[in-house]
Amino acid sequence: MNRHEDRMLCEESLDVLEAYVDGDLPAEESLRFQEHLAGCPACAAELALAEKIQRELRTLPLPDCPPGVLEKVRRAGKGEVVAFPRRERTLGRRIAAVAAALVLSVGGGALFLHVQQVQREREQIAQAELEVRYALAMIGKVSRRTGLDLRDQILQKHVVSPTARGLARSLGVSPAPEEPAPGRR
Amino acid sequence: MLTAFEDTAQRYRRRVYSFARYLLSNREEAEDVTQEVLLRLWRHQEGVDEERLGSWLLRVTRNACYDLLRRRRSEAAAGISASLDEEDAHEVASSEPSPEVRARDTDFRRRLLEALGELGEPYKSVVILREVQGLPHREIGEALGIPEATVRVHLHRGRRKLRERLREVSPV
Repeated sequence: MNRHEDRMLCEESLDVLEAYVDGDLPAEESLRFQEHLAGCPACAAELALAEKIQRELRTLPLPDCPPGVLEKVRRAGKGEVVAFPRRERTLGRRIAAVAAALVLSVGGGALFLHVQQVQREREQIAQAELEVRYALAMIGKVSRRTGLDLRDQILQKHVVSPTARGLARSLGVSPAPEEPAPGRR
Repeated sequence: MLTAFEDTAQRYRRRVYSFARYLLSNREEAEDVTQEVLLRLWRHQEGVDEERLGSWLLRVTRNACYDLLRRRRSEAAAGISASLDEEDAHEVASSEPSPEVRARDTDFRRRLLEALGELGEPYKSVVILREVQGLPHREIGEALGIPEATVRVHLHRGRRKLRERLREVSPV
């Protein structure tokens, strides 16, 4: 086999490689493919990689959903109002962190001196606002999924507005105008 | 109705959840999607042909995942939650790892999961359903609304893309 034919055969072998891995290649073509592999380390390496990928994919675990998910579906199916999904990791930590910031700010009287001391730095204020907005966006996202408009009805009235007024009073500035929730459709 | 739902949910919940988990690379979002899909099953199971229930569930799951991915992209563009899923990006398939699974979690597997996570559609869905879940081509075709021959083409292209990504790092 000359050099040109061998190159062509390499291209051809790459075309049929996946079908060969699946066992879908006709016997005659499989034989030609195997003959090519015997004299072509590069194509043999490609086949070995393809087989390794398939092997790995087929041994990946199939994680099962936590039992709590099914329980929530049962309850929701019976017409109960089901709380939004529990956030154990990422969202939970974020909301917890932001909630801590909110509590710190909302604390008012007891924490007034601390808040006054800490919040005088404009960068920190901006950061706190950012975190509140982030929390509201995330809560809004969750509430949209559940149909519970927590953000507007509860948080805005009982947390956001009082916090903004408290901060403004403690800083001696006018409260910033409210902005629409980011990402809200 | 409850018994029928229980039977179906128990039979398909792992398939739904693991499909969402691999598509989204995020455990919490996969739980949300599973909850949403099973709730739809609760509400619509009477109208779904029993024989096509599996593919129907997978189709609903994929659509729900697409919706979520679109929302994730738009929120990332708005600067809201761009990093929400970073912690789970490399954690797919190891949420409840047994010691054996941990031991096998090699560098190659991590890179494979990365490559799978970045694989475009429809290749990603086809590779997950065929290679990870082991579904027959026919059922994948029904779930994705494409002919069996197209499933094979997508599967081959998807695996080839994975191979291209992993060629440099693989100690074959």
